[in-house]
Amino acid sequence: MPAHLATLTRVRSTLSGPVGSWMLAALAGLIIVVALGPRVASQGPSFFLQIMTYGFTDGAIYALVAIGYTMVYGIIELINFAHGDVFTLGAAVSIPIFGAFGLAEGNALGLLSVLALVAAFAITMVLVGVLNVAIERIAYRPLRNAPRLAPLITAVGVSFMLEGIMALWIGNSTVHYPDLLPGTRYSLGGGASLGFKDIFVVVVAVILVAALTAFIGRTKLGTAMRATAQDKEAAQLMGIDINRTIAATFFIGAALAGAGGIVFGLYYNSINFQLGFSAGLFAFTAAVFGGIGNIQGAALGGLIIGLVRAFSDGYLRSEWTDVLIFAILILVLVFRPTGLLGMRVPEK
Amino acid sequence: MVRARGLVVLILAAFVAFGCSGTSSSGTNKGTITIGVSLPLTGAEASVGTPTKNGVLFYISQHPTIDGFTLKVVSKDYAVNGSPDASKGAATMQEFIADATVLGVVGTFDSGVARAEIPLANQAGLSMVSPANTNPCLTKTVYIPGSLRSNGQDVTCKAAGLPAPADLRKTNPDKNNYFRLATTDDLQGPANSLYAFNTLKLTKVAVISNNSVYGKGIADTFTAEFVKLGGTVVKRQDYDPANTNDFKAFLTSAKALGAQAIYYGGLSADKGCVIRQQMIGIFPTGEATPFLGGDGIAQDPTCTRTAGQNAVGIFATVASVNPDQVPAASTTIAAFKAAYPTKSDYGSYTMVAYDCAGVIVAAIDRAIKANNGNMPTRDAVRAEIAKTSGYAGVTGTVGFNAAGDNSAEIVSLYEDKSTDPNADWAYIKAYDFNGADKLG
Repeated sequence: MPAHLATLTRVRSTLSGPVGSWMLAALAGLIIVVALGPRVASQGPSFFLQIMTYGFTDGAIYALVAIGYTMVYGIIELINFAHGDVFTLGAAVSIPIFGAFGLAEGNALGLLSVLALVAAFAITMVLVGVLNVAIERIAYRPLRNAPRLAPLITAVGVSFMLEGIMALWIGNSTVHYPDLLPGTRYSLGGGASLGFKDIFVVVVAVILVAALTAFIGRTKLGTAMRATAQDKEAAQLMGIDINRTIAATFFIGAALAGAGGIVFGLYYNSINFQLGFSAGLFAFTAAVFGGIGNIQGAALGGLIIGLVRAFSDGYLRSEWTDVLIFAILILVLVFRPTGLLGMRVPEK
Repeated sequence: MVRARGLVVLILAAFVAFGCSGTSSSGTNKGTITIGVSLPLTGAEASVGTPTKNGVLFYISQHPTIDGFTLKVVSKDYAVNGSPDASKGAATMQEFIADATVLGVVGTFDSGVARAEIPLANQAGLSMVSPANTNPCLTKTVYIPGSLRSNGQDVTCKAAGLPAPADLRKTNPDKNNYFRLATTDDLQGPANSLYAFNTLKLTKVAVISNNSVYGKGIADTFTAEFVKLGGTVVKRQDYDPANTNDFKAFLTSAKALGAQAIYYGGLSADKGCVIRQQMIGIFPTGEATPFLGGDGIAQDPTCTRTAGQNAVGIFATVASVNPDQVPAASTTIAAFKAAYPTKSDYGSYTMVAYDCAGVIVAAIDRAIKANNGNMPTRDAVRAEIAKTSGYAGVTGTVGFNAAGDNSAEIVSLYEDKSTDPNADWAYIKAYDFNGADKLG
């Protein structure tokens, strides 16, 4: 091995260790401070705080979608392109459900309507979960042992089908989503404020991620999922029903995306049938960012993308936003190909 | 080819002969002349296309014959699966061309469809008169003149990614066959600048566009005129509509820089009115913080619905006259509403389309007289339409320049005064860029 290659390998192995993470974080921090320092200083701390709240909220929504990507990839190594559209579907399905529960704009959020909201969440999550299981059964399971490209293309196909169906159903323009949450804002001092909606989004995301982590770590089905992800055949030999386990993974992933869709709708109050395409793309990026297959990684990746987005929009121009996100992604992946928190994909 | 033409003549002759013998009581009938209508009549744009078509139908119902010829309207829809479709437009234009009795077409509504139809119509020498196309490049080589931009440089049609007028009239470059009554998009921005600076007394505005040729264009022209008047654009951003859902960071930054209003260049389909909705909590709501824009959001119920509680205070321009405000139009509008009592049968372009039909019929009349009372050629009609000057239409005086543009350059401004999507937007005022408001 030539000397410079050996050096490079050594640098890479150092960087992918814990020391590397810190060095990388320090480097990224330095770049950010140099690039944005003067702008941040001139705009004042309350502006910074305000932008940060937007980043956390946006990031929490990305995180909810990213988890589904990461779970499915972790267990069957499929990039489920249709996942973003399941997210949109969650938002679209919930509108008539709200209607059925008598949840309408302008009504104060009493105890009864809070319960109705929780029920609407649950029903939507179950509905899109069941749909995703059906998608898996029809479009992915028969291709589980086929060449990797085949299920990838069926996933792209399902994505377009879902978008087409939604375009026919909700129309091809922006659709208003009921504004059910109070618009109350709490002052953070110096002009910055935090909306009830921001808190709602982050709290829902934290609850769901915590519940999922507990589920995967503590329950029998969670253990089965981890076992299946590690080695399908061995898991089967140990008596795990692989098909059921994979179906459960699709169900949970979709349920989280569906919840993400409702949260998105309640936060932004408008949706459109193509929402899932870009949301899915960025959520997938978030999943790779954090380490594909790793649930905490996906949540972290989503949060980072949300923050980068908000800071870029606020301090630079939105034209820079995607450039920045992907520049950071490339930088991270070059030095840490397994993502920020490391991949959790079976070694083969 | 020769045989086909012979056949047409034969059929025409038979038609004339039959017509003569058939109508003995009402003088001589020399045959039928058809006015084509090329509009979106189904799907998303049907709500504007159908009332526009009705304007033509109503004109012809008032003028059923001309110089012994019977006038007839044939309408063709160019929407496919609910959306306007350029290739469907081209196909329907081919059908009009194949029908020898068609001497003029009222259309189109969508500039993109006009771009597909003009070359075919040009080849056949068939005239089109549009009530609603506002894209400058259908008639002008410059998309946005330098005089309307801060750096003084023209944005040519080529630079804007659009074919120039000559590219659309390749077969007969010296015989322009396309005319329009609406004015062009490049005047929408300046109209809003005049209103923002002179009437709303705003001096600091943040500008955002959907990064499309149209959106950037009207945002640029707004900026240039606003700065020329003495205002400041505190922040400018062109976002990617597919990937952007959150505008709050931009809005917070605009607020911090002292913006009193936001100007938006783009469509409501590109989340334009989501921006308005997200202003809640950052800017004072309603008329306290105006939201300005062009016909991409104007009078659009979707925009009102999306803007939610913050719908009031959206001021948007349309590059066309509002017939309801033209005193001379009132009698015709009343007569129309008596004949078409359903509310949705009447729209902003009904009377403009009525005038389009009038311009074509007047030209046909002159062409028939010049041809000793016989059926005129399409080219003769085209030449007569091009000569139109001082035509007293119900929406104003119509006259075409060499490019086919109307001499009247009216931009109307509307305000959303209600959070109810079904409520009409209030008409505020019109700017006449060929008269009182001529840009210096």
